[in-house]
Amino acid sequence: MDKEKVYKLNSDKGNELSVPLKNAPMKEHGVIDFLVIAAGFLLITPILSAHRVTDFMIFCIFVMSFDLMYGYMGRLSFGHMLFLGTGAYCSGLFIRYISGNPLLAILVGIFMAGLLAMLIGLVIVRTTGACFSLINLAFNQIGFFLVLSPLRGITRGEDGFGVRVSSFGFFNFANTTFKFWFVLLCLLLVFYLLKRVTTSPYGILIRSIKEDETRVKFLGYNTFFYKWLTFVLAGGVGGLAGTLSALNYNFVNPNMMDVHSNVGVVFASLIGGAGNLYGALVGGVVYMVISNFLPIYIHRWEMFLGFSLLIIVFKFRKGVWGNIQDIWEYIQKRKGAPRLAA
Amino acid sequence: MLEIKNLDVAYGHAKALHDISLNIETGQMAFLIGRNGAGKTTLLKTIIGLLKPLKGSITYQGNEISSLSPEEHYLKGLRYVAQEKKVFGNLTVRENIEIAAYASGEPVDIALDKITSIYPKLKDFLKTKAGQLSGGQRQILLVGRALVGEPKLLLIDEPTQGLAAIVIEEIVSILSGLRDKVSAVIVEQNLAMVNRLADRVHILKEGKVAREIIDKSEISDTRGLEEYL
Amino acid sequence: MLYTVLYGFTIGAILYFISIGLSLTFGTIRVINFAHTLTYTIGVYALITLVAFIKGYFVLVAALAVLIVIPISYVIERFIIRRLYGESLDYTFIATFAVSLIGVDTIKWIWGVNPYPLSDPIGTYLAIWGLTFPLYRVLIVLIAILLFFALDLFFKKTIVGKIVVAALEDKDGVRCLGINVDKYFSIVFVLGSALAALGGVLYAPISSIHPYMGLSILLLSFAVVIVGGMGNLKGTFLSAFALGMVMAITARYWSQGAETMVFIVMAIVLIFKPIDI
Repeated sequence: MDKEKVYKLNSDKGNELSVPLKNAPMKEHGVIDFLVIAAGFLLITPILSAHRVTDFMIFCIFVMSFDLMYGYMGRLSFGHMLFLGTGAYCSGLFIRYISGNPLLAILVGIFMAGLLAMLIGLVIVRTTGACFSLINLAFNQIGFFLVLSPLRGITRGEDGFGVRVSSFGFFNFANTTFKFWFVLLCLLLVFYLLKRVTTSPYGILIRSIKEDETRVKFLGYNTFFYKWLTFVLAGGVGGLAGTLSALNYNFVNPNMMDVHSNVGVVFASLIGGAGNLYGALVGGVVYMVISNFLPIYIHRWEMFLGFSLLIIVFKFRKGVWGNIQDIWEYIQKRKGAPRLAA
Repeated sequence: MLEIKNLDVAYGHAKALHDISLNIETGQMAFLIGRNGAGKTTLLKTIIGLLKPLKGSITYQGNEISSLSPEEHYLKGLRYVAQEKKVFGNLTVRENIEIAAYASGEPVDIALDKITSIYPKLKDFLKTKAGQLSGGQRQILLVGRALVGEPKLLLIDEPTQGLAAIVIEEIVSILSGLRDKVSAVIVEQNLAMVNRLADRVHILKEGKVAREIIDKSEISDTRGLEEYL
Repeated sequence: MLYTVLYGFTIGAILYFISIGLSLTFGTIRVINFAHTLTYTIGVYALITLVAFIKGYFVLVAALAVLIVIPISYVIERFIIRRLYGESLDYTFIATFAVSLIGVDTIKWIWGVNPYPLSDPIGTYLAIWGLTFPLYRVLIVLIAILLFFALDLFFKKTIVGKIVVAALEDKDGVRCLGINVDKYFSIVFVLGSALAALGGVLYAPISSIHPYMGLSILLLSFAVVIVGGMGNLKGTFLSAFALGMVMAITARYWSQGAETMVFIVMAIVLIFKPIDI
């Protein structure tokens, strides 16, 4: 791919990208990112339990996969849980019927989710807007129904089934501490991978597609392929989150495919700031904290969630992270320091 | 009557009009000419309130109107006829006029009489769905719609575009009949028409006023104008 | 078999009541209203509350329930929907979803989560061709057909209807003729919401009543609108009944698969005829 061509596409448009190029810095932040993220999660662990934080991290992975499609490519899916569920069920079934090897199970989960994304992506990716949202929702609903009813024989329908992994070398998934570190490692890997992807020319290309697809097509790029690729990537990572869920809870049930849970990941993406990996992490944690702890203190937490969503949509579009970035920039400008520009 | 001062209009970040200033006196028929993309349609749309200027002012009969909505402009007597000859295709010709009469408070029959007196042939088409009319008929319907109520300033965008010579003749004669009854700002590429009807000509180039001709006698120099198209 | 057909028509009729508002709102305001079936739910709960007080006169109570919904839907339109004009689709989705979250939670708060039973208000049967059909269901279908013709007349003969038809085609054109189109679109929105409430009220006696009933039927209405075409009155009518039949026939052979079948149909339609929003 012609890197130069893609950069030029954005500069001569004279439009601001919704995700400013400053998020694709020329100099790599690299190791610092990891340390900051790891530290972040480690810090909150003493307050909540390691088990809880592992939960959070898995959700954050899921939010990152969703944000790839929503924030970067601009497509809102109301059925992303399909991939989480697929990853969970496929790896769960693999462990139950074929082999207790956890690493293989993870690979199976990712692969099957990715494969599903590849197949339905061929059809879905053509659509945009509400069409895209609803067709994803439809497939999610169909998936949910499948595991609930026709495939009840193997999936045990509503009850779900237990997942017991055998230890594989020192990969002991029965141990909470081990799970914590393993999931943290996965999260960092996913973060790294997605960071590389979104700052590469490919990443700039999909963001350009979000801004103005026709233009990108005119430049000769096969936008369908790139959209499809993004869909597959999002699906695969979503599947990873699903697999990790299954391993973490030692359990798989239809809730992992529930359409209504999509609101959580959408909310998390928005509140953190769409189109931004850090935002996805922040949003994921915030949403997890809200949904886990708020019901204890505020009985009508769904109402609260509704009002917060309204406030975000009407006032705080950029989410927590986006606003933090704005403040940071403002401070920089006042200091007279050169901007963190691309 | 209409005073535009230092108008800047943009679509998002792309500026379409730079520092436009021009005046129209009551009862005059002013023409806007210029190449495609020069900003003529943008200017009309801003005057009628479909677009809001970044800066500058539009004063109509002494009042600042640039922040008003199209509905409010209508009540002040401004009428806009857009470029694409878009009529309410799913409704009949008569119903099109009905809608035009609605806000003005003018009874539908009077509105119909007014229009059929200017263009009698329309009487045969009252029950036809507007979408089935030819380009020229649509244009006349649109002008007719604009004349309902008490129009004071017509803003017409390329009325003769894509029409056959005979039809253009009809339109020119209709507009000719309106002189001194309404003021008008008309965007046109047809210089012969400009020649016959214009009291003044404003030439737009790349979003700026390139030239103004306020003296009728100078307008007949069509060759000088051609270079701007 | 004929029962299945009647059942299909009944569901179709209810879907029609609900979807027509959604379709119109989309065609006019270009907002996909996730909170649309909130008025459906509110109508139902208003109904059951009123029924406790005014025993016996179902028609009166039903009418009241629908009327109660009108100011509520006006508030939603005025404060939320209107701010979403011209916004990108994600935000309208999310904002309207938030409204439905708030609404459902409010209902849970006031009425609790447990389902309410409500019985068939007429309870008589129609005997034709040696079979007995519940009269109530037949009436629902008849009302839907009446509604279709009423709406048709409304849009063809009244000036408000004509303005809406014109505005659907050329909103700016109508505005430049001095008409405040948004006001009329609000009317359409409230009308649509009232019709959804009517659907809820009519369906309540033969379905289960719980706070989430709106959400489950919302997805089905989306399917109806997508298959029938946004803003397309005839299309919505036909697709509502068609999908109602799909549900009824699927339910006969495969009881849990009814809703999923509708989604499969929707997915297929979207694949071959993606909508352009």
